[in-house]
Amino acid sequence: MIYKMHQKKVKKYIEKIKEILFLNSLNNFLIILLIFTICIFSLQSFSSVIFNSKWSVVTTNIPLFAFGTFPSDQSWRPIIWIVSLLLTSVLSIIPPKWKWLRKNLLFAWMGMIPLGIFLLYGGLGLQTVMSRNFGGLTLTIFLTVCSSMFALPLGIGLAFCRQSSLFVVKKLSSIYIDTMRAIPLIAVLFFGQLLIPLFLPLGLEIDRVWRAIFAFTLFVSAYIAEDIRGGLQAIPNTQIESAKSLGLNQLQIIKFILIPQSLRIALPALTNQVIGLFQNTSLMSILGLVEFLGIGRSILANPKFIGQYIEVYIWLASVYWIICTILALMAKYLEKRLKIA
Amino acid sequence: MNTIIKVKNISKSYSKGLLALDKVSLKVNQGKVLVIMGPSGSGKSTLIRTFNGLETFDTGEIDILGIKINSNYNERRIQKIRKRVGMVFQQFNLFPHLSILDNITLAPLNVQKRSRVDAEEFGMYLLQKMGISMHAEKYPSQLSGGEQQRVAIARALALKPELLLFDEPTSALDPERINEVLDVMRKLAQEGMTMVVVTHEINFAKDVSDQILFMDSGKVIETSTPDIFFSNAKHERSRKFLNQLDK
Repeated sequence: MIYKMHQKKVKKYIEKIKEILFLNSLNNFLIILLIFTICIFSLQSFSSVIFNSKWSVVTTNIPLFAFGTFPSDQSWRPIIWIVSLLLTSVLSIIPPKWKWLRKNLLFAWMGMIPLGIFLLYGGLGLQTVMSRNFGGLTLTIFLTVCSSMFALPLGIGLAFCRQSSLFVVKKLSSIYIDTMRAIPLIAVLFFGQLLIPLFLPLGLEIDRVWRAIFAFTLFVSAYIAEDIRGGLQAIPNTQIESAKSLGLNQLQIIKFILIPQSLRIALPALTNQVIGLFQNTSLMSILGLVEFLGIGRSILANPKFIGQYIEVYIWLASVYWIICTILALMAKYLEKRLKIA
Repeated sequence: MNTIIKVKNISKSYSKGLLALDKVSLKVNQGKVLVIMGPSGSGKSTLIRTFNGLETFDTGEIDILGIKINSNYNERRIQKIRKRVGMVFQQFNLFPHLSILDNITLAPLNVQKRSRVDAEEFGMYLLQKMGISMHAEKYPSQLSGGEQQRVAIARALALKPELLLFDEPTSALDPERINEVLDVMRKLAQEGMTMVVVTHEINFAKDVSDQILFMDSGKVIETSTPDIFFSNAKHERSRKFLNQLDK
């Protein structure tokens, strides 16, 4: 009796297992079929890229892509700058054990711009380099880093002004933010490149790179201000009350409670802004700066490499993709770490 | 004996003519514990929040530690009061982005301008007193409600206040966690801290308080010692409230 029942049970199990296996094998078959078809299609359409492309257009021009027409014996300077940037960002994301270093990371970041200016422009013992020789990825990174570092404090300021109880301050900042958001970026960049020189008095000249940084900063700060405002509104009023009850004054509440918390809430949106800014710097290639995309275009204009669009653009796209992915991953990691705190 | 709080006839009305506080007067002496009880919406929280300027009022005068405030909002005087008066809230209101120790040392470092070593030492002493020194490096979200509330008490104590205000400190806690907070408050009362406590905890009020103030719809209905209040309340309204609580 018991033995029979066991047999029945075993049979049931076997059936079940068969069912699962059969379903699975059908699934597996479908998946393999799908992958196979995708492979065939992509082989057909990209075969010219895979088999016929001549990557020498990229490999021979690597220094150009990286540094533009920066003097080749001086190319260690941008390398040092970019490496120190990477180092600071890694340190900010994976916090070091030493407390003093953690406390001074903000100053390290603020020091990045003067360091970049010193290393790129030269002076003070280094050979000076004109900004028209900047180019490639170096220029793209320089534009992104400088613009975002200027835009962040400006955006925070604008966000607080927009919440101010002073009518004039509030109105002025909201007019600024709304106007900037209503103008396309390319128009602001044109304004920076073409109109600013007309407004400046004779003899005073700001170089093109800085005019671009100026325009980007104006534009991005309006968006950052809105992101920060969203963060500010998400902070419960009880936080401000408990800070007040501890005797902190208005400025201290802003510095110790509101700014850190709103930045934390706005972090995903701010990452978005930085990635967007990084990609938008490519617009400057239309306005005569040979940043990463611009270098690609000027290489394509060289008779030696004529017609090799596919190689150059695949290369450009993949570098942009890699850098943006790295930025996104860093931000994701940072978000995760800040979640506990 | 020094008078710490002297409230004279304060009233506050909301825009719809609703009275939040209706001619409230009271007095608290040094080292005494005043418990404020009453149904919700009776104005107890509003009253306790006027003591450190989180809430304004329309008429009357408050004298706290010798600093007088009236209906004209005077930032500087209120700031002076806040530096000498600690407050503990219902929802703890710890700063989520700061570690426990940083939560506690924030005010001593920036309001009292004490040295970091000094502030951290005192902070650790307070945490030990609250029985949570092992959590000093953690963040508020990693702690239970009762632990968070004890951190909030330590944070309020870090400024060495002469008066502590508690606004329903146990109302947001698990029933099991209430006692760990009440025990800390009992200890403080024994040490002679002047306290004003808004609470529904009858046992705490019976054991610790020197005076009970019963409020309803913005009015002080009754002020008595706990013995009288819980056994033989003078007012019909208070008796009704106590009956409700007992059920």
